[in-house]
Amino acid sequence: MANSPENFARTLARRRFIQGSAAGTVVLALGGIYVLSDELTREARAQTLPDGRPRLPPGQRVIHALRPMGGEPGDPSPGNYRLRVHGAVEAPFELTFAELLALPQVEQALDVHCVTTWSVLGAKFKGVRVADLAARAQPKKTARHVIFEAAHDYTSNISLHDALKPSVMVAHQLNGAPLPRAHGAPVRAIAPDFYFWKSAKWLTGIRFSEHDEPGYWETRGYNNHADPWKEERYG
Amino acid sequence: MVDGPAPAAPIQRKKRLNFRPWLRALHRDIGYFAVGLTIVYATSGIAVNHLKDWDPNFRQVNLTHHVALPLPIDDDAASKRTLDALGVHETPREVYRASESQLDIVFDKRTFHVDTTSGVVHEEGQSARPLLRIANWLHLNRGKKAWTYVADFYATFLLFLAISGLFMIPGKKGLLGRGAIVALLGAAVPIVYVLLSGGP
Repeated sequence: MANSPENFARTLARRRFIQGSAAGTVVLALGGIYVLSDELTREARAQTLPDGRPRLPPGQRVIHALRPMGGEPGDPSPGNYRLRVHGAVEAPFELTFAELLALPQVEQALDVHCVTTWSVLGAKFKGVRVADLAARAQPKKTARHVIFEAAHDYTSNISLHDALKPSVMVAHQLNGAPLPRAHGAPVRAIAPDFYFWKSAKWLTGIRFSEHDEPGYWETRGYNNHADPWKEERYG
Repeated sequence: MVDGPAPAAPIQRKKRLNFRPWLRALHRDIGYFAVGLTIVYATSGIAVNHLKDWDPNFRQVNLTHHVALPLPIDDDAASKRTLDALGVHETPREVYRASESQLDIVFDKRTFHVDTTSGVVHEEGQSARPLLRIANWLHLNRGKKAWTYVADFYATFLLFLAISGLFMIPGKKGLLGRGAIVALLGAAVPIVYVLLSGGP
């Protein structure tokens, strides 16, 4: 019977289920957008960089240590490692890991900003400045861009002007220890003025180019320039 | 013969083409076909969506050990002593002297960084999450090649399932009633989100 007590009870139970589901969804949604500001982030927001920019780019939160963000790992072997510096240069060359270590080393405390909104402040990277590698390779006058080449054909791109800044380097140590595998051992690029995907892990080459070549993420919807202070996350 | 009223001519009803059985059959079979791919893409989608909270491909290994000093001067002998002390019986693929005080013992999945002056050994590496890594590899189409076409076909199937689903049920529970309301609610989710968030 359409109006039997059983049917009525079933309708009530169904209604309660729908109401409960709706209420649960609202609570979850509200919980998702509730962001608790933390101490590290608050402190960083109060600081400014020497050039006047806020130390923490908009939309970022500070965490204690770099997070491994995946990617297809390259060969971690220092013995097999080769770094090609090539492209639009007068004197292309290749370095072994030992030869890289023999070049003038710098250790810099740098802030890095991941496009997924975490930032790490003052991570200590040790390695060789890209500017020093460029000085040896002598980019042609027509070179305008630098392409970081990494394992499994991953690439990222920045302008030559940006690549020659003193903070841009190829790093083999993080916080006084060998660069961990999850962070691109044995060598990764570091370009701290850009979202961190530009800092290619498992770096195998630095190619100077006359033309810009959007890289792996840049061709998948992410911003070609990737300035964290302008929140240039997506293309 | 008795004259009587002539029998009524059969009413010529216009035969309506009933597409729903075909639609249901196609929806059902394509739905079955898409189950495996949907599980791969949905699982990986959730995993990759939370990339900032965890590594969906690998578990990280970070351990610190200590070995007794002094270690032999010869790198291979120092490596063997270290590995024996740590109970590691695999053969390393490489023993690399990174500096006077640092010896790297490299395996496929992990590396031991030995400080030969302090005896501190830092073990670090990654172990792949068995199924998830493969699902992510497929989802992100890292392998390229033929998977691009598989993914295109799958996307086309999903479009078919979505659109055919609209027309599966006639009447007030279909597109002429409840179905339309629920479909509009679903379509409103991305629209409202884009409006509230400001979009890209």
